[in-house]
Amino acid sequence: MSVNPRKRKVVTRPAPEPSDSEGELADGLLEGILSHSEDEAADDSDADASSVIEGLSDEEQGDDDEDSDEEHIREEMQNLNTSDSSLRETKGISTHDMDMGTGADGDLDEDEHLKPNYTVTTDAHGNTRYLYREIDPVYDSDDSDVEATNTIGNIDLKYYDEYPHIGYDINGKKIMRPAKGEALDALLDSIDIPKGWTGLTDPQTGKPLNLSEEELDVLKRLTRNEVVEDGYDPYPDMVAYFSGKQEVMPLSAAPEPKRRFVPSKHESKRVMKIVKAIREGRIQPYRPPGEQDEEQDAFNFDVWADEKPRPDNTMHIPAPKLPPPGYEASYHPPPEYLPDKAEEQAWLDADEEDREKEFLPKNYDALRKVPGYETFVKERFERSLDLYLAPRIRRNRLNIDPESLLPKLPNPEDLKPFPTTCAALFRGQEGRVRCVSIDPQGIFVASGGDDGYIRIWELLTGRQVWNAKLSDEEAVDAVQWRPTKDASIVAAAAGEHVYLIVPFTLLSPDVEQASREVLDAGWGYAASKPSTTTNGEAPKQAPGKWSRPGTLLENKGVLVQIEVRSAVKIVNWHRRGDYFATVSPRGQSTAVAIHTVSKHLTQLPFRRLKGIAQTAQFHPSKAIFFVATRNTIRSYDLAKQELVKILQPGAKWISSIDVHPGGDNLIVGTYDKRLLWHDLDLSNKPYKTLRFHKEAIRAVRFHPAGLPLFADASDDGSLQIFHGNVVGDLMQNATIVPLKVLRGHKINSRLGVMHLDWHPREPWCVSAGADGTLRLWC
Amino acid sequence: MDFDAAETKVQIRLTTRDPGLQISEEPNILLVQTSLTRHKLSTLVNELLHREENRIPFDILINGQFLRTSVDEFLTKNGINAETTLDVEYTRALVPPLNVTSFEHDDWVSAVDVLSPSSQMGAGVQSGQERILSASYDGLLRVWNTSGDVLATSEAPNNGGRVTSLKTAKWLSDKKMVAAGLDNTVRVYKYDDNARTITTALELFNHRWGIEDIAVHASSSRILSASSDTTISLFSSNAKENAVAPSNLLPNSTAASNKRQKLSKPDRMVPARGALATLSGHSSPVSSVVFKPDDATVAYSASHDHTLKTWDLPTSTCVDTRTTGHSLLSLCAIASRNLLATGTSARHITLIDPRASATQISVMTLRGHKNAVVSLDTDPSSEFSLVSGSHDGTAQIWDLRNVSAGGKVGEGMTGESVYTINRQGRSAEAVKSHGEGAKVFSVRWDRNVGIVSAGEDKRVQINRALGS
Repeated sequence: MSVNPRKRKVVTRPAPEPSDSEGELADGLLEGILSHSEDEAADDSDADASSVIEGLSDEEQGDDDEDSDEEHIREEMQNLNTSDSSLRETKGISTHDMDMGTGADGDLDEDEHLKPNYTVTTDAHGNTRYLYREIDPVYDSDDSDVEATNTIGNIDLKYYDEYPHIGYDINGKKIMRPAKGEALDALLDSIDIPKGWTGLTDPQTGKPLNLSEEELDVLKRLTRNEVVEDGYDPYPDMVAYFSGKQEVMPLSAAPEPKRRFVPSKHESKRVMKIVKAIREGRIQPYRPPGEQDEEQDAFNFDVWADEKPRPDNTMHIPAPKLPPPGYEASYHPPPEYLPDKAEEQAWLDADEEDREKEFLPKNYDALRKVPGYETFVKERFERSLDLYLAPRIRRNRLNIDPESLLPKLPNPEDLKPFPTTCAALFRGQEGRVRCVSIDPQGIFVASGGDDGYIRIWELLTGRQVWNAKLSDEEAVDAVQWRPTKDASIVAAAAGEHVYLIVPFTLLSPDVEQASREVLDAGWGYAASKPSTTTNGEAPKQAPGKWSRPGTLLENKGVLVQIEVRSAVKIVNWHRRGDYFATVSPRGQSTAVAIHTVSKHLTQLPFRRLKGIAQTAQFHPSKAIFFVATRNTIRSYDLAKQELVKILQPGAKWISSIDVHPGGDNLIVGTYDKRLLWHDLDLSNKPYKTLRFHKEAIRAVRFHPAGLPLFADASDDGSLQIFHGNVVGDLMQNATIVPLKVLRGHKINSRLGVMHLDWHPREPWCVSAGADGTLRLWC
Repeated sequence: MDFDAAETKVQIRLTTRDPGLQISEEPNILLVQTSLTRHKLSTLVNELLHREENRIPFDILINGQFLRTSVDEFLTKNGINAETTLDVEYTRALVPPLNVTSFEHDDWVSAVDVLSPSSQMGAGVQSGQERILSASYDGLLRVWNTSGDVLATSEAPNNGGRVTSLKTAKWLSDKKMVAAGLDNTVRVYKYDDNARTITTALELFNHRWGIEDIAVHASSSRILSASSDTTISLFSSNAKENAVAPSNLLPNSTAASNKRQKLSKPDRMVPARGALATLSGHSSPVSSVVFKPDDATVAYSASHDHTLKTWDLPTSTCVDTRTTGHSLLSLCAIASRNLLATGTSARHITLIDPRASATQISVMTLRGHKNAVVSLDTDPSSEFSLVSGSHDGTAQIWDLRNVSAGGKVGEGMTGESVYTINRQGRSAEAVKSHGEGAKVFSVRWDRNVGIVSAGEDKRVQINRALGS
């Protein structure tokens, strides 16, 4: 608030003591009281119409200090009567006013043309004064609205101090110094204005309209918005009903209480408290208004204080406009809007969310009978909850196709060929089929199972063409064709015996002869050349005993029997067909054995193996030998006889491994349902973990001849075919794409598919099932 | 002429490729209602041919496609304007070949061949004296007459204790036949129809693994055999023309084998011979071989190594190699169209143009089998029909006209089968796609006998259209 210097005076006046306030005086409250009383004082000081005078002085041109009420009223009257007339008329009247002033000197109306346009009088100082006559208001004659510009330019007015004029107008005429001070007063005194003169004409009588003192008073009241009635006093003198004056008939007969005379202890206490606070500076009697506002802001936190109207956009959605309330929202609605009993009951019975209207129209005779809003608290709470929980912000929804985030895998259709359907079912085995192998020509399939038989089948038709019973008690756990085409030999393991078989009924005489020669070459080798590799220690017992299995088996083509110390589970040939490795997990130090066919020699490459050996395999091209124990896979260089690498697949129990024909990758199947792909160049941790099976994985196998395929066989009765493309580029990792799940094998006592093998050239594979069947998939 | 707004009519030009069924009347452009179906059009053709009795059922082909619905629907489906003149071809309808009879065997029947007056080899056979040759996995050849009696059974061969299962057998003439199987030996048998005996006349050695297929050319008495050892051998049925048998392949060549042979006490020695030529070039087992129908000096062979090779027999060289996408398991020449049909392991039949000038490897692909297609034969009475036997337990009849241009790029047109023959006693639903117990190993289509198929169900099954 702007502080008027005139009001400043008022402030100095002692503020009334806030004696009637009872509460504890906080600083702010006190300030408020003080400032309020200030305002009231200012209002009181407006008793004389100083502000009105100020306004009037703006309108009066030149006359600054005119201060009379009458003049003011006249001005008002002019404005009242000529409110619709133009400014020029107002001017005219004011000039007429001047004319009347001059008219006081003499009546010169008759012959204006003969006389000069002005009369020379003396002004208050006795100087000559030119009084110009009224100009005939013809068109273009009046330039009185042109302001008389002083043309002296930028010259200090003090040079004109000794002259009557202060400059020159645009016509070169002197601009006289305006009258002021006593001169004006003298002039006004000299002008005699009749009592109640208004300068107006009474339209009814045609005579000049004069106003009486009472009429002027009425007008004055009217302009001040006061009660016009005579005798009404808005500010009557206070009648002190309870005063110290002794009345003849007092309102109360009670004697004056003592507290009327005794200064209030309580008040003085409070005052002293305030005084003390003021002295200590705790209360400041006056605080600048800015600080006060700040404090108030901090006190009443306005949530929407800095809210500005915003244009609609996606991030700002204004609250929906509610429809205006209808008749039924009225407190006194027309009767057709009032619900009947049934509707009311239905509304009450309905769930809050199902109600069409949020309220029930009710009828009240009068507004004052309308009760308070009964759900006020609840609604306020819900609105707050709504604001808190459901802000009207458009959420940025991630409009991303989840498919696009997946790594780009080739479409399986583009990765054909791969096996898709079961093409043949090989039935005839009793009990589980435990192992399967396809011959290097791709014509026959050998299988062994729980019934102790090894059987050979025609691949495409599923015809059993050869069989031999290897063992009565033991199951045939492993069967593997020798991987060369010059001879046709099957190695099979049943219990502690490994058999080398030439199924000669399927072979032409020359192939049979070649195969026999391969097997027969080693007879007597061990006897003639006693083992030199284990020369350091006395050979307690040869790790393997090579013998002929007996005529019954020999007539079937089983030519060699090797007895090892514990049951053999895995047989794997070296690529040249001269060596094969057997793994018997139960045998502690004899778990892994390497057999040389040409020498009929069995060697134990590891004196002591850490962990239980699960499987072992030769590297497809180098002299490296992989041995998998339950948790780790170790690769050994056979030539240098040293450990090359230890792979940690992170599996609990490895079931099988296979080495990629390229030799740099390895897949591991585990009993804990995972298929792991190891890149030997990359790390000793798996490059990829494929967890697609529901049950343990029993066998994994790469396609042997260049097709980028691998497959696993699981106890859940399914095989899964994967695309696993290994490129020569070291910068590029292998691409692994799941292609196909082959289902068909039945689960027999929680065993599904026991083993699988790939066709040597085609994308066909054969699986051995626990349901006693083999299946060809192509 | 009253115009019926609802009945649209279309101009058709009736043609046929059968010279015996030409319509003599001129002109042969007719205006027919589009609501006609195949049966109505067939009746119309019969009337035009003035066949009041003994009507022939006709199949109607419009623009090379079989009409299965009404003409109207056909036009709508193919987007043909009804105002154009349609080229309508009529042809004898395929009468569904129904199961006539089955011949029970002791073991899986791997191959079947028919000797009939209309067959290639049966020039001297009288009608009614048709003979059916079946080769079985038990190693025996059997000759049947059409009423299902076994006329003769061959003896088990003495091959030194080897597996004797036969894989293929063919009539060489009405007195001779040739068979081969897993024991790597091609045997020529003599058949005496009167004495009802089959005697081994000649053993031909050249293969080191089982023989998958043989092809015979009667007039030049040449035999081609395709083997799993990736070679094809050319033999002559005359023992003297052949070379001396390679000693290392004879059963008595090795000590163990010789011992077994002597133990089995052969009654009499069979002359053993070698091959005229060995055609090597395939890298995988050769599954099928055929002579070019009009030229006995050219042979085609299909192999598991995805290739189809053309051989020039006089020089024993491979002339042309066509590589397809899948292992080829069967082969058959369609003489009239100069095409070769091959059945693949990928469950379809591919028609290959073997000419060197052909730009497209696959002219047509016939899809519909659910397993490997292992046997193919052509319809002797139609140049467009084909029968295929598959491991899915069905034989299917195909019409080369029933094709559409769809399919993948590079596979030419694709076709669907016209009729499916299931094995007797096995419904289509009972047999799974792996065809366990119902695999068809061999099919032959003879004009007199019908469609003869043999399979894993130990039967030779004859299907014939009744009334034809």
